Amino acid sequence: MSTRFRFVSLVLALVLALSVCSFSAAEGYDKVVFSYATFNNIPTNEVRASLEEAINAITREKIGVEVELMPVSIWEYSSAVSRGLQGGDQIDVFQTLGDFNVAVSTDMAEDITDMIDTCAAETKEIIGQDWLNACSFKGRIYGIPTMKPIALTPMVVYRKDIADEIGLDFSNVNSPADLTDLLRKVKEARPDITPVAAVNAGNIGLQLTVPNTDYLSDDYYTPKGVIMNDELTVLDFYSTDAFKDVCNLARTWYLEDLVMKDAATTASTAAELMATGNYFCYIASYSYPEEDTAASISAQAGGFPLGAKIIGSAFLDTTAINALTWCVSTTSKVKESALKFLNLTFSDKEIINLLIYGLEGRDYVLKEDGTVNYPEGLDAASVPYTAQLSCGTLGNFFLMYPMEGTDPASLDWELEQNKTAKTSAAMGFTFDNSRVKSQYTAVANVISQYLPGLVCGSVDPEVDIPEFIAALNDAGLPDIIAAKQEQLDAWAAENK
Amino acid sequence: MKKEKIKNDVKSFNIFSTVVLAILTVITLLPIILIVIASFTDEKVLLSSGYTYFPSKLSLDSYYYMIRQGPMILRSYGITVLVTILGTVGSILLTATLAYPMSRKDFKWHNQLSFLVFFTMLFNGGVVSAYIMWSTIFGIKNTLLALILPNYLVTAFNVFLIRNYYSNSIPGALIESAKIDGATELTIFVQIMVPLAVPVMATVALFTGLTYWNDWTNGLYYITDPELYGIQNLLIRIMNNIQFLKSSSNAALLGTQTVDLPGTSVRMAMAVIGILPILIVFPFVQKFFVKGVVLGAVKG
Amino acid sequence: MTTRAVRKKKSSTAQTLPLMLIALPGLIYLLINNYLPMFGVFLAFKDYSYARGIFGSKWNGLDNFEFLFRTKDAWIMTRNTILYNAAFIILGTIFAIFVAILIHELGKKRRVKFFQASLMLPNLLSWVVVGFIVYAFLNADNGFINNTVYKALGWQPVSWYSTKEPWPFILTFVYLWKFVGTNSIIYVAGIAGMDKEIFEAAQLDGASKVKQILHITVPMLKPTIITLTLMAVGRIFYSDFGLFYQVPANSGRLFAVTQTIDTYVYRGLMESNDVGMSAAAALYQSVVGFILVIGANALVRKIDRENALF
Repeated sequence: MSTRFRFVSLVLALVLALSVCSFSAAEGYDKVVFSYATFNNIPTNEVRASLEEAINAITREKIGVEVELMPVSIWEYSSAVSRGLQGGDQIDVFQTLGDFNVAVSTDMAEDITDMIDTCAAETKEIIGQDWLNACSFKGRIYGIPTMKPIALTPMVVYRKDIADEIGLDFSNVNSPADLTDLLRKVKEARPDITPVAAVNAGNIGLQLTVPNTDYLSDDYYTPKGVIMNDELTVLDFYSTDAFKDVCNLARTWYLEDLVMKDAATTASTAAELMATGNYFCYIASYSYPEEDTAASISAQAGGFPLGAKIIGSAFLDTTAINALTWCVSTTSKVKESALKFLNLTFSDKEIINLLIYGLEGRDYVLKEDGTVNYPEGLDAASVPYTAQLSCGTLGNFFLMYPMEGTDPASLDWELEQNKTAKTSAAMGFTFDNSRVKSQYTAVANVISQYLPGLVCGSVDPEVDIPEFIAALNDAGLPDIIAAKQEQLDAWAAENK
Repeated sequence: MKKEKIKNDVKSFNIFSTVVLAILTVITLLPIILIVIASFTDEKVLLSSGYTYFPSKLSLDSYYYMIRQGPMILRSYGITVLVTILGTVGSILLTATLAYPMSRKDFKWHNQLSFLVFFTMLFNGGVVSAYIMWSTIFGIKNTLLALILPNYLVTAFNVFLIRNYYSNSIPGALIESAKIDGATELTIFVQIMVPLAVPVMATVALFTGLTYWNDWTNGLYYITDPELYGIQNLLIRIMNNIQFLKSSSNAALLGTQTVDLPGTSVRMAMAVIGILPILIVFPFVQKFFVKGVVLGAVKG
Repeated sequence: MTTRAVRKKKSSTAQTLPLMLIALPGLIYLLINNYLPMFGVFLAFKDYSYARGIFGSKWNGLDNFEFLFRTKDAWIMTRNTILYNAAFIILGTIFAIFVAILIHELGKKRRVKFFQASLMLPNLLSWVVVGFIVYAFLNADNGFINNTVYKALGWQPVSWYSTKEPWPFILTFVYLWKFVGTNSIIYVAGIAGMDKEIFEAAQLDGASKVKQILHITVPMLKPTIITLTLMAVGRIFYSDFGLFYQVPANSGRLFAVTQTIDTYVYRGLMESNDVGMSAAAALYQSVVGFILVIGANALVRKIDRENALF
């Protein structure tokens, strides 16, 4: 017995000794590890080193920093960063993917209020105080939101060829309810097609068309306490009439065979379904103008000609802005340098384009009109490095070279939307859910159980909504709402 | 008379066995055949009319897509094969040696050892503490060791399998007589236990081999350099990337030029590719499991 | 008297050391891989803060465990986990032994190898793929069952992913399909190691094949069965995540019969990614399994001491 203890303690001592060895910084320059989500392929170590060298050539001079890139695939990004930070890896800059308030409440994001003027003044200019407020908690700033078109407008994307054939007029369609008649016409003229396809499992897009609803830090599809119509009273979304209307509309569509039956559990997504040619349209929110949206999706959706019509209005709440926020980690040993590099991703055109497109010539070609494309014979999957699909999540979107074929006027439209879209009355409020964590978990499970069926019309709202609400109450939703109301009132008192 | 009765009895049992096994095999294989066919089905047909044993249109597109990723796939095969071999060999060595003293009832601490081993089956410290251990303290990140060492080298389950076999299928008399002859523990182990335990060691080798072959979590946690991806890790990454891109409707529109996203048929092709090598290797390994281990030594 | 005692002691230390050395490499590995990281268990009792790290975070008592017991759902998931595991253990063992015996009896013929390889095949597929397969059979619009089988029989199509009653059978069937092949191998190895003489003697005495199997083979497999069952009991609070999440396609309507502890934890923590709570759930599963297995092992010790795990 004692030999065993002695042995184990020897090993432990060795372990502690090893862990004291710290990372060495390169001669004089601070090393900053920049972690970002990528939708494209991860580059090999060699390619990554070449890119880092190009970036360092700039950063050594400008801010005395050497950068190490840590691209992580989007689907595992959050868990990789979480694991790395817990495990003691060096990660100085990271982004949140819809979980900004969690990053703040678990002390993952550093308070940068005092550093921002000295290390990121340019970015502060570009982003503006309003948006920075959306990344604040109790008056302290914890992150910088990605600068990009963020106003998401609900649209219906439909088969233009079929619409023209039947002679459908979309000009009066301004809400999903308006859509019903058109869908019936489609069903009549083309009984072989199902009018509405799902966006993905459990979502046919109707929920997002409810106007003026702030989810108060919950994710897009599973609200647990919202405020609506500019009133600062927290409500249970699922008890509202607006929700009932959504469910009833979905139910009507379901019973009249206007929507796909499997919407609640399908493994396919809108683009795939449209590509089969068996569906007429789907409803989703996009931040680009109608024509761009339609043209872009067309390629993915089997090449059919598509049109898009806006059927709702964009709404900016705090989460819309801070869903993609860049933070400095609390465990970082080079916080100021980290913030300085982050600043460059917002203000320095060269740096951001290196990050997104890689090295000119090898990974992309720059045309005379300022647009870019992949080199001859290569595409996004075969170039050594590209993070082009991360264009909506990295730094400053408006500084990036546009891809060939984009209309420059669209950028203006998007900037305009950012500024003029309707803003929530609770803009700037973030909810800290640490006191109601177990209710959150329980409620999340209840929502997973009931919501898909209800919003896709596959269950009877008359029966299920009461059951749903009862289960929510049992799981602790009232506690969550009370907690939100309390924090909201406190925030309102301070800010209004 | 009796001999004939025996012969008949054996024969009818054989027929029964064959029939039953054949039925079970058919039931087992049918779903798999379905996905192999799906991997050869044209994507559009797959989406519109669903999975069927007789698709209206066949296509090799999915496999062309995989071939385009060719070099990466071959390399990852190589990595997985290497890891599987090294891991399996290492595992057998460590597991068989650990199991032996546990099986000896006259070993002072055989119960404590058994408990120690068993305890690991129930309690584990979690992914993050393991990560801290292997990555921060032992520094194996982005090395081949990271695919071999964590988790699978010795598992309590395998240890007990072997221990059991030692206890029940190898007579204690053998060990006693060897000791009387003056053999050391090591000799007994190498010359008696190992050769006689071939069936169970083959079983453990098979299970461990399969585990290493199928594992993608070690790669997920410890490998960030694509040059070290194993085949399952690679496939899971590709599949999850697709899933994610497709489920976020906004992600679909992140630029006018989108990546060519492979569809359902390609995912089926990936599944087929993942199991192909095992299918080829397995027949060679099978001979270890069939009856025929001689225990003649007992008589002597 | 004393001299004899001393002699006995000497012989046992003489073999203790070499035996311990033989076990050492494997033991060291377990210490490093399994025991050292156990400090992670503390997380279950802490309010984790990234800034403070594992050792600096504040203790919060049993708060992280609350969500496991709060609601009716929590008890449903526990019930499901236990019932499914019980069914899997019982049916899985019966089928695995059955198949192992059949394979063993048929001997070395080529077709036997084919059968064995085929039965093992499902275990090579990941749960994601198995989920696709089940979807191919069961989806309401053009799944094989509805589209082909039911149509041929003239029955109305069933919306499988919204009807919960058949799912316990579906999931059990899928489990057996995936695992019986590989599980039977353990028993095949066990049977291969049995002394043939006993069988020959029984045969000469006039026992039929079936009698031989029931009275010799199965009883001789008892130690293996007990070991495997005890180990399974220790894991009775764990479930195979892929089976219960991927195969039912994450369909909410089926939760009452497909929700297990692992899926409940995953679904609940997806949004908040709470470190402490997931550690608490894991600890909960471990502790319960531990208690159960100690109890079961004690029981086995009373009845049949030889075959207890420890």
